[in-house]
Amino acid sequence: MTTLAATIAATIADREAEIREAWFEQIEALAGRMELPHLAQSLRAEAADFLVAFIGALRSGESDLQDDGLAVVLRKAAEISAARARDGFTPSETAAFVMSLKDALLPVVIAAYRTAPAELGEAITGANRMVDALAVETFASYTRTREEIIERQSRSILDLSTPTLRIWNGILLMPLVGIIDTQRAQQVMEAMLTAITREEARVAILDVTGVPVIDTRVCLHLTRTVAAARLLGARVVVTGISPDAAQTLVKLDVDLSGMITRGSLRAGLAEALRLIGSSVGALVREAS
Amino acid sequence: MCDRQVEKTIRLQEDIIGARQAGRDLARAAGFGTVDQTRIATAISELVRNALLHAGGGLCRIAVETTEASATLQVTVSDDGPGIPDIALAMQPGHSTTRGLGLGLSAVRSLMGGLSIESRPGRTTVVTSMTRRR
Ligand SMILES: Nc1ncnc2c1ncn2[C@@H]1O[C@H](COP(=O)(O)OP(=O)(O)OP(=O)(O)O)[C@@H](O)[C@H]1O
Ligand SMILES: [Mg+2]
Repeated sequence: MTTLAATIAATIADREAEIREAWFEQIEALAGRMELPHLAQSLRAEAADFLVAFIGALRSGESDLQDDGLAVVLRKAAEISAARARDGFTPSETAAFVMSLKDALLPVVIAAYRTAPAELGEAITGANRMVDALAVETFASYTRTREEIIERQSRSILDLSTPTLRIWNGILLMPLVGIIDTQRAQQVMEAMLTAITREEARVAILDVTGVPVIDTRVCLHLTRTVAAARLLGARVVVTGISPDAAQTLVKLDVDLSGMITRGSLRAGLAEALRLIGSSVGALVREAS
Repeated sequence: MCDRQVEKTIRLQEDIIGARQAGRDLARAAGFGTVDQTRIATAISELVRNALLHAGGGLCRIAVETTEASATLQVTVSDDGPGIPDIALAMQPGHSTTRGLGLGLSAVRSLMGGLSIESRPGRTTVVTSMTRRR
């Protein structure tokens, strides 16, 4: 690395306060353009934080942003863009945030090198390169965070409470949505058994329309739930198995013979009513 | 020739969703019908769940190869867990060391039409594939 690069780094580092002011102005304008004025404050705090790391790296490094110093700054950039992703910033808004540092930095660099025009060109290139590197890293980390969030969201949608609806006297409906891992299966089972007792239900309809994949583990949980409900005197009707899933289920070789299944919720309800009807009929007969 | 390939690291429960979604997407893109897509997704679900449950995680690779006459989707799930001491026993329906149904591996075999397992302590690789005529 040339000594010139080191001087540029030092020049920038010495003008920390100036750059911060300039950057704050840029951010204020940016937040205004994005119509998110309330975010200006936290953006400023992040910018200040980031600038400290940036300048620290410039100072400690012999030259412009080498190795350790760079790693610190990049980590900071990654943190910031992760926060932006969580706040729902678009990629271009996130990039705009980092690039606004350039708008703050360049005038300061230009002013500092006014008396040394021969070095100005390299100083501008150097400053540009630094911010560009940051922008690239920020963007990559933004994308990573987005992906993580999407995965987690798809999971938390599944973790939504599991409602049990009383749809008829003695009939409960429980729609299952999403993946059924062991923990969630436990929740579903508990919620269902509690509701069966509370509502004195005779039939519980478990609708699996929203379950994307019915593998052997899901089957295991289903059969357990059915068996536990039986102990409470309730039958379980499983509905919403798609034709594709049915053709997959037969290959799993799981014993579902103890389970009442119906293709549609409508058919399941009819079956539930029949079950109730017949037991009511039996009661009447017994009484007479 | 390998037209498309996806690799998914399996470390958490939610990684299972990602892996089988990737399988479904690749299968659809390769022209497999919806029943086969569901079977492929289910088979992937079984294999990555095994890697997670019995080996603490692993890697799932899904590759599609197409020729003039056919398309083949191959799933390879590998892990560096304890290994399967008795492969024949593990494939037997109903055998489980973790109080599961013990149907996972035999289900994959019948869903996909074939299954091969190589295993020693520290390295288990399970490969299965499905081919369709074009
Ligand atoms: N990747 C693996 N590493 C180590 N052992 C494994 C692995 N995959 C399967 N096994 C062993 O093989 C057995 C059978 O696996 P299989 O998937 O058929 O059933 P399971 O996982 O126990 O239950 P489930 O029906 O829920 O899948 C397991 O209990 C486990 O002991
Ligand atoms: Mg299994």
